[in-house]
Amino acid sequence: MNRLVMNYFVTEGYVEAAEKFYKETGTEPDMDLGTITDRMEVRKAIQCGNVQDAIEKVNDLNPEILDTNPQLFFHLQQQRLIELIRSGKVEEALEFAQEELAPRGEENHEFLQELERTVALLAFEDTSSCPVGDLLDVSQRQKTASELNAAILTSQSHEKDPKLPGLLKMLIWVQKQLDEKVSYPRINDFATAALEDPAT
Amino acid sequence: MPASTGWGRPEDLVENLSSMDTTARLKALRDVKNQIIGNKTKKLSYIKLGAVPRVVEILASDAEIPLLVQSAAAVGSFACGNEAGVKAVLDSGVLPHLLKMLSFGDNKQVVEACARTLKMIFQSSLAPRSEMLVGQRMELLLNLLNSSNENVAEVAAHVLARCCESVEHQQAIVDAGGMQRLVTLLSGTIRRREAALDGLAALVKNNPQLSLQLAAMEQGRPLALIIKFVKDKIPRTRFLACMCLANISRSCPFCYPQEWDIRTSMLAVIVKLLEEPGQVGEESPIVLADIVANNEELQRAAYKFDAIVKLSALLQRESLPTKQLEGILMALAELCSRLEESRRQLLDQDPGKNAQAAIISALSHPSESVRVASCTCIKSLSRSVKNLRTTLSDERLVFPLFKLLDDPSPVVQVAALSAVSNVVLDFTPHKSVFFQCGGVSQLIQLSRSMDPMLRLNAVWALRNLLYLADMAVKEKVISELTVSTLTSLIHDPEEMVQEQALAFVRNLVYGSVDSVQQVFAEESAILIAVERQLCIACRPEVCTQGVYVLSNIAAGNELHKEAVMSFVAPVSQEGRNPSPILRFLQDMSNPQLRVAAVWCVMNLSYPDSPGAVTRVARLRESGIEQQLQKMVDDPCLDVKDRVKTALEQFTGLANV
Repeated sequence: MNRLVMNYFVTEGYVEAAEKFYKETGTEPDMDLGTITDRMEVRKAIQCGNVQDAIEKVNDLNPEILDTNPQLFFHLQQQRLIELIRSGKVEEALEFAQEELAPRGEENHEFLQELERTVALLAFEDTSSCPVGDLLDVSQRQKTASELNAAILTSQSHEKDPKLPGLLKMLIWVQKQLDEKVSYPRINDFATAALEDPAT
Repeated sequence: MPASTGWGRPEDLVENLSSMDTTARLKALRDVKNQIIGNKTKKLSYIKLGAVPRVVEILASDAEIPLLVQSAAAVGSFACGNEAGVKAVLDSGVLPHLLKMLSFGDNKQVVEACARTLKMIFQSSLAPRSEMLVGQRMELLLNLLNSSNENVAEVAAHVLARCCESVEHQQAIVDAGGMQRLVTLLSGTIRRREAALDGLAALVKNNPQLSLQLAAMEQGRPLALIIKFVKDKIPRTRFLACMCLANISRSCPFCYPQEWDIRTSMLAVIVKLLEEPGQVGEESPIVLADIVANNEELQRAAYKFDAIVKLSALLQRESLPTKQLEGILMALAELCSRLEESRRQLLDQDPGKNAQAAIISALSHPSESVRVASCTCIKSLSRSVKNLRTTLSDERLVFPLFKLLDDPSPVVQVAALSAVSNVVLDFTPHKSVFFQCGGVSQLIQLSRSMDPMLRLNAVWALRNLLYLADMAVKEKVISELTVSTLTSLIHDPEEMVQEQALAFVRNLVYGSVDSVQQVFAEESAILIAVERQLCIACRPEVCTQGVYVLSNIAAGNELHKEAVMSFVAPVSQEGRNPSPILRFLQDMSNPQLRVAAVWCVMNLSYPDSPGAVTRVARLRESGIEQQLQKMVDDPCLDVKDRVKTALEQFTGLANV
């Protein structure tokens, strides 16, 4: 159980929690906590809109990640463009789209559609009501940040998802299957995980 | 490039790479590195600006850690995924410096950066592979396998795997202890074990001896581990384990117990991996091809696992990487090589219509191996009569396929010829589409090639072309081929070409009196060539075809039969002469030959023709009847039946 909790902290990047938990329980973290800090800084950079900074950090961590992940690299460039548009630097945005994003579309035709969507942002004065306005949402930053986080974890041979949520889902599914066949002591409250006897 | 990127003009950056000022040098280096990572366009433009030698210079002569790390990373990025970059870094002499750092470097970051760069370089075919397997370098690589640094161990295995280009290379690595070291890595961390699987797969590929050696090693313990990895939770591990086992099975089938069951479970795994993103999905198809090769039961199992449906769907994706496209076509070629239902599934379904289009367009792909794979796929599909009559006679396929007969690459030409051979068997008498595309002239030209493979396959294709063809076709072909070329082919130095040339004549004369007449053209040149070959040839397959030629001629008119008789039952002053075809009737090693010879006799002694009685008498005098009587209990049923009929004909005519 402790290992599951530690795995969750480490994968999701809660360094301080992981350190405290290690002190309290003696459970070893399943990766170097130093790399977690690096990874969290990369994530924070994107969440604040500093994509350039995030790119430089991840290249210092492992230059292979962006070199071998064209889709991820494209999404990061896309995010940079979005940030330029968000801060009203229209001319810079146009130049950037031409210099940096257009070649990605040429190198890889699969990106053209998304590229068009992003550039469409430039066509609308009132971005909040335009059809591609969702690109300016904070959730878009989250998406990009998660994609990059997952890539870093994979490069470190770590699984990108913590095990705990998966196990919970499986528990729920198993209980549902059993419900149809037998009566048995069930976990109804996941916060306490108390086994409750079936109603007789 | 605009200044808005905040990085300064590229030309300035390149200039600063050689700056005396360490800080400026480091900044320029970092900026170049950050610009080129992930960006193919920028890599190419910085290469043009001459950045690479300057970066390598930093790696070679600088001492400060940050400079070494950044320059190694930059070199690695230049070499990542683009051949121009690999060439540029190799030309700048980076390899010895990288190897030096890997052997003596004590800074973890520097060593890791150099390891990554080495890996990038060796992913390219330009990397100097044979140079790595000599003396000190080989020792270095093997030592690096045991490195405590996971990345380094992985790279060493990766480089070794890329250097296994020949049996000699593979053996050299094993002799130096490479197989043992890789096997030890199998019990390590995820990355180490994947590296080990990659390395071992390359060592055993196309090498029966080493495949057996690995399977038998340490009472099969490493093998058992690899088999376990087929079901591992990580897709890449599963893929590598399947690849390794597929290579073993392909080189050395059934060399370990329960190989059959394991191959079947590998099949299920690899079919699921086809849709996996990245390298695993790209390389799974070719491993699938290896697993089912030459094995009808596995091909059937794959069909049931919907392998063809999945491969067909993949074919319709845009811009497939070359390796993946080649793999998919080869997998389809294997899967459709024996099973009609597979071929049907590939071509009949609605999505299948687009699979056809993809296969046809692959015939013009820039990559040679893709063109070969497409021809191989078409060859498999053409084993189906239904397909021959419909899809494969379509000029949209025939025209591009025949164009490949002129391909600059001989490998492609042979593959195309193989496919063409089958496709021309389209069972339509007029074969017009093959004439329209100029294919027949091409085939005739190739039948005069100096290359025996090309000659053989061209004649084979022409033979098939004439099968059941109408007179117009036969006349056109013979007049363009010329009798003299045909007679040369009958006497070709290669026995297999002789066989096909005679089979060509067999098809030429089959079916009508006019057809038979062809063989008497130019003073019976063709017939004389056939008879001469029948006297001197040793190979039974050659003789069989020759005898069938005689047999078909003997089905013609009286003059034709007489011509055959003068060979089969020669008349001379001395009276009785043994028949030249006696030795064929007596050849117990080859039932086909005996059948052919009996057919010939049957046609000659066919009762419903005026000269039959005389012919039978002459045949008897040549010892034929006596020989036939010895054959009433021939072990081959076909022979036995024909002998019975022939003897009945003899007896019937004797009583007239």
